Amino acid sequence: MIDPASGPFLFDTSAESWLARTKHSELLTWVGAYLSHHPFHISAITVLERTRGYSTLWRRAQEESRESIEASRIAYLSALGPVWPLNGAIAVVAGEIMSLLPDPPTPPRRSHHLAESHQERLARWRFDGLIAATALVARMPLIHNNAADFEAVRSAIERTPERFPDLGPLELIRCASLA
Amino acid sequence: MGPARSLSKVKKQRTTLTLPSDSLTKAKNIARARGVNLSTVISEALSEGLRIHEVTKRSEEVLNSYRKAFSGFTEVELALLDGVVLEPSPRR
Repeated sequence: MIDPASGPFLFDTSAESWLARTKHSELLTWVGAYLSHHPFHISAITVLERTRGYSTLWRRAQEESRESIEASRIAYLSALGPVWPLNGAIAVVAGEIMSLLPDPPTPPRRSHHLAESHQERLARWRFDGLIAATALVARMPLIHNNAADFEAVRSAIERTPERFPDLGPLELIRCASLA
Repeated sequence: MGPARSLSKVKKQRTTLTLPSDSLTKAKNIARARGVNLSTVISEALSEGLRIHEVTKRSEEVLNSYRKAFSGFTEVELALLDGVVLEPSPRR
């Protein structure tokens, strides 16, 4: 178990929504305890991914569903804690990560007859690089729900520490191991 | 600036409270040990209690907003909210 008071932590996009939807009582207790000490820190990239998602759903929806999608979007924005902007330092670190790992370590996602395009997969991989870079620059452990991708970033950084001076290792914590 | 000093600058009001005897005894002991008066110790404890109440309230508000933000969506829609765009696969 991770001590909730030992934060703050940076939450990856899928970790944030997974924890918000969890029904596990131990995790719910952990989230409540964490929020009594620290807010959820996220990257501006997470806001971008989320906003794009709400907006796309809104555009695809019938008129009668749009109000509830908009209410969800407003609820999300009202819950936002600190949002880490992209800056020069994060751009430099993310550029190193993208150069080290130009291709996603896992294939595009599939679900029944649906699939993620290679272009979308690459964009999402680059967003992950920006989020990992934000955690490094902010010196915060990254809470994630995507072990295959972020472990690849952590390993690559460990193999070439000279490209990430004074930034230390990327500290990763899986959502499921929080409580 | 310590809490006791900062409390001395805020507007004060006299009131009468009924407190549990054991809490009052503990507060008096703390006041004696720190060399401050009983009002200071009780004011600090009240401020901390109110702060915790506010934090808990905010934490519940955030959790409720998060639940509302992600409820009522299908798995594919939730994936989209996480940045994963799934489209119909092209026929092979």
